[in-house]
Amino acid sequence: MSASTEKRYAIVIDTFKCIDCKACMIACKVENAVPEGFWRNWVHHTGGMNGRRTLYQPGQCMQCDEPSCVAACPVGATYKQKDGLVVIDTMKCIGCGNCVTACPYGARYRNPVRRTADKCDFCAHRLKRGEEPACVETCPTRARVFGDLNDPKSPVSIIMKSEKLVRVVNPVVNTEPAIYYLAGALPLDWPVEPTLPGNVHMNSAFWKTAR
Amino acid sequence: MPQTIEKGFTRRGFLKVGTAAGVAAAICGHTRVLQALVKTAEQPPPAGIHKAYSICDICINKCGLIARVDEAGVVKKLDPNHKFRKSRGMLCARGNAGIGQLYDPDRLKYPLLRKGERGAGQWQRLSWDQALDHAAEKLQKIGEKYTRCGVLFMAGSDMQSGFVQRFANVFGSFNVISHESNCLLSLNRAFLDTFGMIPLPDVLNSKYIILAGANRFEALITPDSIDLMTAIRSGCKLVVLDPRFTKTAALAHEWHAIRPGTDMAFLLAVAHVLIGEGIYDRKFVEEKTYGLEQLSAHVKPYSPEWAEKECQIPAVDIRRIARELAKAAPAAMVYPGRRSSDYENSTQIRRSFAIVNALLGNFDRPGGLTIPQPIPLKGVAYDAPWYDDNPEGRIEGERSQMMFEEEGSFKHARDAVIEGKPYPVKGFFTYKTNPMATGANRRKTVEMIQKLDFMLTVDIAMTDTAWMADLVLPAPSYLERQDPVSPVQAVSAGACIVTRDPVVPALFESRPVFWIVQELARRLDLANFFDFSMEQYRQEQLKNLPEAEAALKQDGVYYIQGNLYGSYEGKPFKTLSKKIELYNQRYKEAGIDPMPVYRPPREVPADHFRLVVGRNAYITQASTTNNALLHELVPENTLWMHPQPAAKLGLQQGDLVEVASKAGKGTLKVRITEETRPDTVYMDSGFGVLSRGLSRVYSKGASIVEILEEYNDAISGNMAMHETIVSVRRV
Repeated sequence: MSASTEKRYAIVIDTFKCIDCKACMIACKVENAVPEGFWRNWVHHTGGMNGRRTLYQPGQCMQCDEPSCVAACPVGATYKQKDGLVVIDTMKCIGCGNCVTACPYGARYRNPVRRTADKCDFCAHRLKRGEEPACVETCPTRARVFGDLNDPKSPVSIIMKSEKLVRVVNPVVNTEPAIYYLAGALPLDWPVEPTLPGNVHMNSAFWKTAR
Repeated sequence: MPQTIEKGFTRRGFLKVGTAAGVAAAICGHTRVLQALVKTAEQPPPAGIHKAYSICDICINKCGLIARVDEAGVVKKLDPNHKFRKSRGMLCARGNAGIGQLYDPDRLKYPLLRKGERGAGQWQRLSWDQALDHAAEKLQKIGEKYTRCGVLFMAGSDMQSGFVQRFANVFGSFNVISHESNCLLSLNRAFLDTFGMIPLPDVLNSKYIILAGANRFEALITPDSIDLMTAIRSGCKLVVLDPRFTKTAALAHEWHAIRPGTDMAFLLAVAHVLIGEGIYDRKFVEEKTYGLEQLSAHVKPYSPEWAEKECQIPAVDIRRIARELAKAAPAAMVYPGRRSSDYENSTQIRRSFAIVNALLGNFDRPGGLTIPQPIPLKGVAYDAPWYDDNPEGRIEGERSQMMFEEEGSFKHARDAVIEGKPYPVKGFFTYKTNPMATGANRRKTVEMIQKLDFMLTVDIAMTDTAWMADLVLPAPSYLERQDPVSPVQAVSAGACIVTRDPVVPALFESRPVFWIVQELARRLDLANFFDFSMEQYRQEQLKNLPEAEAALKQDGVYYIQGNLYGSYEGKPFKTLSKKIELYNQRYKEAGIDPMPVYRPPREVPADHFRLVVGRNAYITQASTTNNALLHELVPENTLWMHPQPAAKLGLQQGDLVEVASKAGKGTLKVRITEETRPDTVYMDSGFGVLSRGLSRVYSKGASIVEILEEYNDAISGNMAMHETIVSVRRV
């Protein structure tokens, strides 16, 4: 992507700093009125006894560059914006639920109040106000770094230069997530193969192994 | 996936139940910039879209926050105040969940008078005048029949608790206790008696920290919990001693599953190594401590080999850790901790913590134990009246060896009320404290309450304590309150002062306890002791800090300038020897061991377990488990049990089990995990409630206090909650 006025939002997470306090989960829930029984974000973890430290791994919608959810939507209600955010137009969404099972990360859910698909949008309404996503701002150990990859001065660009980063991807598909983790984060291979509706064809590069 | 949505409950619907908030919000609607203080006490908080500073009250830490209020006057979100250094500009899960407290439909809404039996949950609504008239009459009657000391006052950790104490004092009762005897008094006792003051750990700059029990990544304390992660990143080594594999253990460099109750053995062995190998801070110990000779002799038998047998940590590790501590000193510490309500000798256990710290020479130095900063807030002085007929002293003073007068002992006071000795106590006034849910052996608390003529509880929720009261008065949440100025110690983040102003008007008929005691005082001819508004009180408090008011308005906090290190140079310590007492002379005089003498913890018989309690980052004791947002994270507690004994009991994951002690029983699901020792089981607090006024958490899980037997630390009267042996069976 060219260095332009376009933004390319990303989050970098240091799982060695996460203490699984769930501040990010509650902050998101309040900020985005996430209904009871649903969450827009999560904290996974490795087992950590027998001499190994536990690693806590926060996550949410990865705002993927090759989003399988976008491909699965029959009405074009979900799409990737120029700034990198994968958004949902709730006026178009028919609540079919295809996108929910299409996500390897389980990041989407059907919002029972609005009866449309719902997921993390990096708190787009806060970004408009010049604020960081709620999860980033509230984190006690500053495990999360947010910014614009097209801005070399942004915290995510800086950390990308100085640290080795990895992404969490299913072994078979690569949706090119925009959330990165400091190398050493585990587990890396927990996302599942997307369940796509029959009429959806993802381009061959999407599948990392021959099908 | 459960899809229970509370259909009727939106924030707007909640407000329609009836306050002026909606009306006020409709009148003015334009955007305002950050506002903090209102101009006078009478002026209501701003209406319409605005942001306002407040200080979180969901736990003890008082994190600064910015509340965002929408055009209808509804608080939409609580954001961290980036200028608030103690919290390092963050807000945890519970802080974010503050809206769940503010808009909880279960909140107390108006004064309630008990109608049926205690604990039956039958109430009659009163007007405030009726309620206050009734309360004043009852307090007066008890005062006449049993003297003013016939009323026991218990106020929790709150910015307005000082007013409850003031009221108790002018009412004439000596019997004023806090919740601290269910928490950290034995810790304070030990450090105070060693250093002559209670120091604060400088975690940020430390290079080696031993956490014995203190589960800092779950039992959040600011700035310590945050600084701990930063320190680790800067090369600090973290060693955790805990029978449980907590998240802190999970993130430590080393975790040792220490046998519960043997911390003292470990630390005496560390002292043995430090002295025996001559690797303590000789200069510091020579100049600033008293009793090295006695201590050297005392710890000679406490070798790492001896300690290994007691605490079940290899001697080679104990020796190595002692050497590593010494090498990192003075930026090394045995973290003092906070909650020390564990064993009958908890003061002496903490004495061993304090002694090792003294040997490391970390006092008043970076990465060690620092001096709390002087904060020049003025008080509003008063001369409490004298009541001729009052007895000689408090009800529980004689039952501990060295109780803190200002804090008292809940356990001993409870016994005294039950026994009616040394004199009867028939009244109980509680504010923002919940002994029915946090005082070990709930049956005893019930027994105590049954002895009373009159119990008054001021709270925001129908807690188990309120549930047992005669008169329940609704208080507003912190987001609706105007508070006095409060001092906050923050170690390297800088001591500061904070205050609160209402973000939104008080909901329902809730009234702050300041107003309640003022009104009671008026009815009891004590009005002159409360002849000031909150605004005037704050003005008086800030007389020596002329810049504070503007800073509080602008930043939501005011920092006190001071030196973190080196300010104690040349000053005598407030001990008999005027030095740090390794050997405590006052203890000797009082017939208490002047140096900690190890005694093994009580045996856990075969097929039994020791029950321990603790914390996680989304539960505050018993006050948050009904919060809608937090309840979702932990809908019920479970009994942690190791797979070995679980298999022996024929248990599968999630089976219902009954946990029984001599005090009582509880039924809850088992969580089979290797994260606890085979001899130790664990339960979260805040469940198994009696109150049906806590609708989400009622009938969920089991209560720790129903099962915990009541033991206490001999010296301080602190409750001891890790002494209970339980049996477990499948149900």
